[in-house]
Amino acid sequence: MIPIKKQYRRLRSLLFALSSVIMFFIFWELIALYSPSPYVPDPYSVLKAFITMLTVGDIDGYTLTWHALVSLERVLLGFIVGAATGVPIGMLLGIKPTLKGAVTPIIEPLRFIPPIAWIPLSIVLLIGLWRYIFLIWIGVFFPVLLDTIAGVKRTSITLIQMAKTFGADNKKIIARVIFPSSLPEIMNGLRVGLGVGWMCIVAAEMIGGEPVGLGRLILKYANLLQIDVVIVGMITIGLIGLTLNYFILLLEKRLFKWRVEIRA
Amino acid sequence: MKKAILLESVSKKYEVGSSSLEVIKSLTFDVNENEFVCIVGPSGCGKTTLLRLVSGLEPPTSGRILIFGDPPDPRKQRFGVIFQEDSLLPWRTVIGNVKFGLELQGYKESEHEKIARTYIELVGLQGFENYYPHQISGGMKKRVAIARALAINPDLILMDEPFADLDAQTRSLMQRELLNIWSKLNKTVLFITHNVEEAVFLAQRVFVLTKRPSRVKQIINIDLPYPRARLSPPFISYRERILTAFHEELEGI
Repeated sequence: MIPIKKQYRRLRSLLFALSSVIMFFIFWELIALYSPSPYVPDPYSVLKAFITMLTVGDIDGYTLTWHALVSLERVLLGFIVGAATGVPIGMLLGIKPTLKGAVTPIIEPLRFIPPIAWIPLSIVLLIGLWRYIFLIWIGVFFPVLLDTIAGVKRTSITLIQMAKTFGADNKKIIARVIFPSSLPEIMNGLRVGLGVGWMCIVAAEMIGGEPVGLGRLILKYANLLQIDVVIVGMITIGLIGLTLNYFILLLEKRLFKWRVEIRA
Repeated sequence: MKKAILLESVSKKYEVGSSSLEVIKSLTFDVNENEFVCIVGPSGCGKTTLLRLVSGLEPPTSGRILIFGDPPDPRKQRFGVIFQEDSLLPWRTVIGNVKFGLELQGYKESEHEKIARTYIELVGLQGFENYYPHQISGGMKKRVAIARALAINPDLILMDEPFADLDAQTRSLMQRELLNIWSKLNKTVLFITHNVEEAVFLAQRVFVLTKRPSRVKQIINIDLPYPRARLSPPFISYRERILTAFHEELEGI
């Protein structure tokens, strides 16, 4: 049984959230109404476009669901490659500070180059799906790498010494102490990495070629000056990003029951 | 008979930048099998370094350390080390932590559960097997660390100010229980502390170290039967003797 006071507080925060959503739509409606440009769609026309995209599909016949699935596939592939490289390299660099010192001058400037800038090179260097994977990887790799390094560094020296006094070799120390101890940071890096990777989808799909993908949908309709569909694409990207983040948070909660901070 | 611990003119220097810091200088002592020895000394006198040397985590700069006749190596000998800091793996439950040493020492997996439960019971934590470290008190965490150290049937128990962070009541309770466990299991214990009363309460022999670089200043046999009454005149006179030696060192700093 939830106490009345708590129930009241819940209801109040729900009302606040609802009213801010309503305010948002009113604001949007006003911008659409008073904008000098004829291309700013109001919420209602976006809703209509949303339904059309879901049921009928775009000019090439692809539905919104299909666009989303194709984009998700690309992002998840890029994410898997990003995790499979970021975590081990991060562990290695965290454990070997001299190596980290050696590669920092390469890694640090690289991570400030936005995925969009990599498009020409990826077209020259790679083919097909690998171009997408590479551009998503750019977004995923660095957060995963940096958080993994941070996690390794945070590992308590006492725990490592304790394992040594029990006769653990380096391999066992890494597998049984450093890795599990860094796992919360690694998961955080994966969550941020997946989010950033997902945000790279538009850039990745600027490569052109195939007509499917949420980024492609946005670009296609931007060229047609049909901004209502562009916004449908934007909202879909936002909602899917939110959902992905939520699922990883849920996984973190289950994995890290042992953490005091997450208990509440 | 081989000594459980034997140190022969052991020195340890650390290179700090261009200068070198001598923490331990020609330290010589021995500990018999099944003996309970406390080492007291002023803070910063290299007590923790000494423990790292004895457990083979670091080699001495010069001199010789022998554990039952062999140089210390945690892969060949069994050390039950209990640290001052919290050394439990926070992602493992109580029983998972106790099993950790068994796993690393290559005990058969089928035995882990039974051995772990035996030692959890020995330290009085039955019923808490599936708790995570953040759910139990500081004293209970120490008990888990002790159970984990004992579970591997160690050749030596090395304790580095294990009870320093506990409140006074819990500390004296843990001291009594440690003595109970020691008398049951017949283990050699090297216990490092800066608390003189703790040393007199626990040890058969107390080694007082000098300030850095450490040598043994004095060895005091505590000829009192267990359990010891902290307010009895002989206890107090032992305490005063050690405190005097201890304070001479403190004043020198």
